[in-house]
Amino acid sequence: MDWIFLAELAINGALTGLLYSLFAIGLVLIYKASSVPNLAQGGLTMLGAYVVLALSRDAGMPLGLAIPLAVVIMFGLGFGIERVALRRLAGRPIIMILMMTLGLDIFLRGTTLAIWGGTSRSIELGVSYEPLFMGDILISRIHLVGATVAIVLLAAFMVFFRTRIGIKLRAIADDYMASWSVGISVERGVGLSWALASVVAVAAGIIWGEIQGVDQGLSLLLLKGLTVAILGGLDSILGAVVAGIILGIVENVGADFLDPLVGGGSRELIVAAVLILTVMIRPHGLFGRHDIERV
Amino acid sequence: MQYEVEAQPILSMNSVEVLYDNVMLAIKGVSVQVEKGKMVALLGSNGAGKSSTLKAISGLLKAERGRISRGEIKFEGTDITEMLAQKRVEMGICHVIEGRRVFEHLTPDENLTAAAPMGMSRSALAAEKNRIYGYFPRLAERRNSQAGYLSGGEQQMLAIGRALVTQPRLLMLDEPSLGLAPFLVEEIFSILQKINREEGMSVLLVEQNALAALEIVSEGYLIENGRVVMHGTAQALKSNSDIKEFYLGGGEGTNFHEVKHYSRRKRWLS
Amino acid sequence: MFYRLSGVRHADYVSDSRIYKVPTDRNLAVFFLIIGLAAPFIIPSLYLNSYMLPWLIWTAAALGLNLVTGWAGQLHLGYAAVMAVGAYSAIHAARFGVPWEFALIIGGLASSVIGSLFAFAALRVKGLYLAITTLAMQFVMDWVLSHSPTISGGSHASLQSPTLTLLGQEITSDRAYYYVAFGWCVLVTIFMLNLKRTGLGRALVAVREKDYAAAILGVNSFYYKILAFATSSFIAGISGAILVATFFFLAAPEQFSVNVSIQVLAMVIVGGLSSIIGSYFGVALILLVPGVVNTVVASVSQWLGMQVNVETLAHIPNAVYGALIVVVLLIEPLGLGKLYGNVRDYLMVWPFDQLRK
Repeated sequence: MDWIFLAELAINGALTGLLYSLFAIGLVLIYKASSVPNLAQGGLTMLGAYVVLALSRDAGMPLGLAIPLAVVIMFGLGFGIERVALRRLAGRPIIMILMMTLGLDIFLRGTTLAIWGGTSRSIELGVSYEPLFMGDILISRIHLVGATVAIVLLAAFMVFFRTRIGIKLRAIADDYMASWSVGISVERGVGLSWALASVVAVAAGIIWGEIQGVDQGLSLLLLKGLTVAILGGLDSILGAVVAGIILGIVENVGADFLDPLVGGGSRELIVAAVLILTVMIRPHGLFGRHDIERV
Repeated sequence: MQYEVEAQPILSMNSVEVLYDNVMLAIKGVSVQVEKGKMVALLGSNGAGKSSTLKAISGLLKAERGRISRGEIKFEGTDITEMLAQKRVEMGICHVIEGRRVFEHLTPDENLTAAAPMGMSRSALAAEKNRIYGYFPRLAERRNSQAGYLSGGEQQMLAIGRALVTQPRLLMLDEPSLGLAPFLVEEIFSILQKINREEGMSVLLVEQNALAALEIVSEGYLIENGRVVMHGTAQALKSNSDIKEFYLGGGEGTNFHEVKHYSRRKRWLS
Repeated sequence: MFYRLSGVRHADYVSDSRIYKVPTDRNLAVFFLIIGLAAPFIIPSLYLNSYMLPWLIWTAAALGLNLVTGWAGQLHLGYAAVMAVGAYSAIHAARFGVPWEFALIIGGLASSVIGSLFAFAALRVKGLYLAITTLAMQFVMDWVLSHSPTISGGSHASLQSPTLTLLGQEITSDRAYYYVAFGWCVLVTIFMLNLKRTGLGRALVAVREKDYAAAILGVNSFYYKILAFATSSFIAGISGAILVATFFFLAAPEQFSVNVSIQVLAMVIVGGLSSIIGSYFGVALILLVPGVVNTVVASVSQWLGMQVNVETLAHIPNAVYGALIVVVLLIEPLGLGKLYGNVRDYLMVWPFDQLRK
């Protein structure tokens, strides 16, 4: 066994995993603030990346201007999604809300591709592709940058949920009716969570777009993001970090063992297996809240 | 019925009709007045329209696809019939909804924080929390445990405390005694009375437990089938023979074999 | 007026639990049955084959999903995988020389077995978690399909379906394909219509409303959940097999991918949960409208002399499909079936309800 190789797999896996966490924040945020599963995060991420591209490459803005502008646009879009699509479904059974987010995902993906086309492009962040060596271990720079962004955002949101607005958002997730009764604006709260998730989608879209190109492949991150979110516990931000790292390592190391056995492409299988096992063994994940069901 | 008319009422509701889903008429012209600093009870059996009345006042009807189709509600002289629920809370109406719905995954402390108005300063919030823990010492002991695991009585206290953080001038409670042991009901009601006395907060109380409610309120309304069928001081209601028989139990007919129920129909229904 | 209720009295339980309580409903059903039978002689074969046929088969499939999602209340995002099992088993059996009648049943049974695996997830979790687990199972099934050449049929991962032969008749003409699909859809519809009236249907509804409350009433929710999944998977399997045998002619893993699972669920929800007529509407809307819109956009842009990007044109159906889901859920979360019900309720008392106002 080549330990250095294994360590390299594990470290790069962990970095990739943190990028999954970055994607998963979008799900966790919305679930934590409104108990709505956000299956549209794939579409949002894709749209976020395309908006940055459209502003920087098509409209010729420098990235330093294009990215903040994209953040503002997506922030507004998040509020819009709540206003148009989710407000009327508040309090409806989960299946309809699930379908609504799936429908949004399909719509966002379809519209994005209809406007900008499906050819893969690059954002050209300017991060060097030159590999970085830590001793004998090879690390990708862009992954390192992405992981840093992920950790900063995750930490920021952990603090955010301790503030008064954050507590109000968690209250909304618990009970819409009770929140209304004490004067919390549920609509604004849910809108804020979608807006923040859309901003996260810009970050995830830029980083992932830089790694694998901006195309419809970005929306396929949903399965991995879901797995991270569920493994971490859906409403736990700390959980998303830990779960991301775990999934990244398991996926990278596991695929290295499994690929030769099954002839490649075992990554998706590993992710799906982790997801199924999590739900079967520990549905509330590593750090998720237990739902209290009283008869 | 003697009933003294005082200064301008804090809440006045004039022949309000509530319609759910555009078809179900839940209340059919209810008029209720609450005077400043008074405690008023809405009595009535299940499905009479008491909860709908409270929701009409607090603006929570919209969440259940209901709306006010006729009539008007005034709070301190301002028309609030069409106002958003959130705005009404800012104005000073707070509704403790039925069934002790605390924020289960938050601690009692966070429950209180969640209800605080955005403009309230940090120190004011801390003082407010202390005031509420003063009323409900049991909550103070468990301020950092998960609210979902509190006992029924503690959850009710938390729900009331959470409403108090919003600084209401009119507190509305929907069946606070539901499913609680009699001594807890007594405890909660005496705290309500204390808050009412000390802070002059007006209280509108919906109760099934008419006996307990009439002990603490000064006047009451009886609602049946979406209409107010009787209104009077607590004393008058307590001594009314119909109320005694249908809501307080007992009444004249001590020997139940001889009571002819058909002759003692609620005569206001006909 | 249109739905005359006068003279319709239900004096006993038997008459009250009839499928069609109002004669007009029955007449409508008979009318559409006749239309359906006559369709091959009315509708040009191009439309018959590219619209009617898939519509009917997908409706049968959607009804199967409706059984498990609408009636039993179990979210299922891996339905296409179950259909794939049925399709592949039936085709392999037919290629092996088993008569098609049995091959279809083998496909259905194989689907039942695999579909019951999904039920074990349903025994552990519900709601969102169940949806996500079934989604993950779909990914696993996809992977297995595309990574095992013995199942998916060689390097190109496509499997030729042998000629469909039923009751000694080789089925090769468009009309014959249509009748197979039509017959299967009618069969499933009759089954679903009767389901409401049986103990099974009532037990499923009890499980949907609150599984532990149903358990307290003596409904074995464990048993009924598995039964619901097994039955719906059986329908899925045969629908999948018929779909390949009469429409695709070639089985490929992409025909049963995650997107297809989402599409079937969309059909059921847009149509309306536990609404049979709704499933017909839902399938029609989700399956046919995006294509129609695309054709319209293409021809309008041509007519206006505008140049529409090929890629734009290729992605419009997807955008429309997503928008349809969103819009229907916004208008009526209970779906098209509920909208139809509203119209029907209105017509039932029309014009006499005007008198009340």
